[in-house]
Amino acid sequence: MPEMQPGVTQGAIANPAGPTRPANGTARPMHPVAGWLAGAAIVLAALGLITQLYTGQVRTVTTIFMFVGLASAWNLIGGFTGYACFGQVGFFGLGGYATAVSMSHARLDFWLALPLSAAIGGAFAALVGWPLLRLRGHYFAVATLGVAEGLREIVINLPDLTGGGGGITIPTAGDHAPTPWLGNDGFYVLFLLLAAGVVAVAACVSGHRTGYALRAIHQDEEAAAAIGINTTAAKLMAFAGSAALTSALGSAYAFQQVTIFPQRLFDVELTVLMVVMVILGGAGTIAGPVIGAVGIAFASEWLRQELPRGHAFALGALIVVAVILLPQGVQNYVRDAWRERRFSLLENVRRYRL
Amino acid sequence: MSQFIQATLYGLLQGCMFGLVAVGFSLVWGVMHVVNLAHGAFVLLGAYLAWQLNAAFGLDPFLGMVPAGLALFAFGYLLQRGLINLVVNAPIFITLLLTFGLELLLVNGLILGFTADYRSIPTTYAGKSMVLPGDVRIPFGRLFAAMLAVSVTLGLFYVIRRTRVGLAILATGMDRGAARLMGIGARHTYALTFAIAAALAGAAGAAVGAVSTFSPADAGRFTLFSFVAAVLGGLGNTSGALFGGLLLGVVEAWGGQLLPGTWINAMAFGVLVVVLAVRPQGLAGKAFYASRVEV
Repeated sequence: MPEMQPGVTQGAIANPAGPTRPANGTARPMHPVAGWLAGAAIVLAALGLITQLYTGQVRTVTTIFMFVGLASAWNLIGGFTGYACFGQVGFFGLGGYATAVSMSHARLDFWLALPLSAAIGGAFAALVGWPLLRLRGHYFAVATLGVAEGLREIVINLPDLTGGGGGITIPTAGDHAPTPWLGNDGFYVLFLLLAAGVVAVAACVSGHRTGYALRAIHQDEEAAAAIGINTTAAKLMAFAGSAALTSALGSAYAFQQVTIFPQRLFDVELTVLMVVMVILGGAGTIAGPVIGAVGIAFASEWLRQELPRGHAFALGALIVVAVILLPQGVQNYVRDAWRERRFSLLENVRRYRL
Repeated sequence: MSQFIQATLYGLLQGCMFGLVAVGFSLVWGVMHVVNLAHGAFVLLGAYLAWQLNAAFGLDPFLGMVPAGLALFAFGYLLQRGLINLVVNAPIFITLLLTFGLELLLVNGLILGFTADYRSIPTTYAGKSMVLPGDVRIPFGRLFAAMLAVSVTLGLFYVIRRTRVGLAILATGMDRGAARLMGIGARHTYALTFAIAAALAGAAGAAVGAVSTFSPADAGRFTLFSFVAAVLGGLGNTSGALFGGLLLGVVEAWGGQLLPGTWINAMAFGVLVVVLAVRPQGLAGKAFYASRVEV
């Protein structure tokens, strides 16, 4: 029940969260090829960057790539479709454990375990999504949160298979290792390619029929169904796709970490970070989650180095301020501000005020 | 058999405290559609306040519920009035993120101020308990805490149903536009609602401090308990939250007796998901409409 406020544009009120128009809408027509070229240039630049970094920095940037991928994957279900999935880390952990278990017990090659983990994550999401995607708003958020926490508890309670709370170690060295560890540079490239792949999938979905269907569901699910969109199929596709991509990233993360623990692989904070990155970058856009992920991950790492004791405190303060000042995300803010020549952040604060 | 009764009683006493924590969470959810992820941090703020008062003045933690509740009331009012009201019309992600940021701030503030160590508030009656036939023991502290928790919760129901302030809160939760037309100040009412919820969490925190150990890391656990209790009782249904809390306490106690390891946690989340999928209005009570609050 949003009430009309003077001084705010109509479009902003009609659907505050979502993309009221396609990301590359009428306001700033950008040729699709230009976007793809820009993306390819960024990937090449990132590949070149590796020669300029110290070992520690390589790992930091690798983590940033992982978050770019995670945020873009969450954007499929949370940003485009508008379903607040708060259990995304469950798919991350599922992918990680699928890889760890298949590599250490079944001696599976990592390059087979990676797609297998993605498939498991996607199939699991389709299975739980069938009943859960009928829920909306907070109900969906809590239900998915429950799924993720439940997965963690199952992993903890199956010590024979998963090592339980003590963690599981993937054999990465010696003769019995199915795939030797890739090294810092190898994982840098792997995560860069995975992140680029996720962003490319998001870009394809965005321009495709499915993307329009998902945005329609976000704005008004009944209306979307009325104009002939199979909402169940579209939602399931977005959910399973998002989960499969997240599982693939979890799989690569598990291999990178070698030893994984349920507390880390199913950490709710990871979900929240994905959501923060997408919302602050710009939900339902292609570039938004990338901007958000790079910005937040960089800020988080910087704070960790500058304020070793109080970095989580400072991160909390940063999130509070950013949410108040930029609730619609950087990308949407810049687009609207540029179009309407109104750059005041204070006006932004008034947008959702009571 | 007596072991079973013992577990059930423990679960019920624990459940009363869960109920007190969950009631405020559910109220905020029902009236403002805000999921307050910082709710568990409020509980710990109350616990540390009571601990500090006990350490400085030797104040009994159950008496400390009053100052803890009052301090959290003021804190909650200012927080809602100054901060959360700014984004209360935003989509749920925004309020979730804001309250998550607050949770990070509060929990890490507590870690900086009090360290992450576990601590508890010493009381003279800590080890004493009432012995029932069949060697069933009820610790006095827990009994006190549970009785206080239930009376505070019942007091809240009275306030909500029978006083002008409570009716204003209900009306605003049902239809904010209409409530404003009737002369109810929505900003003030929202702030009051949040303040009441924070006060209940703070009082519950003082009681928790009296009967068990706590550390800043417990904030997430309390938020999660509130979630589960609120869902079992029906989201936004405040009296349902009390029953949800009782149910959670009993199930937790039984699970500890019957199931190996921590399978009980996995089961609890399974139940949560199934309840949401099959009966989103909660186990107790009537169907809940998104725009209504049931008390």
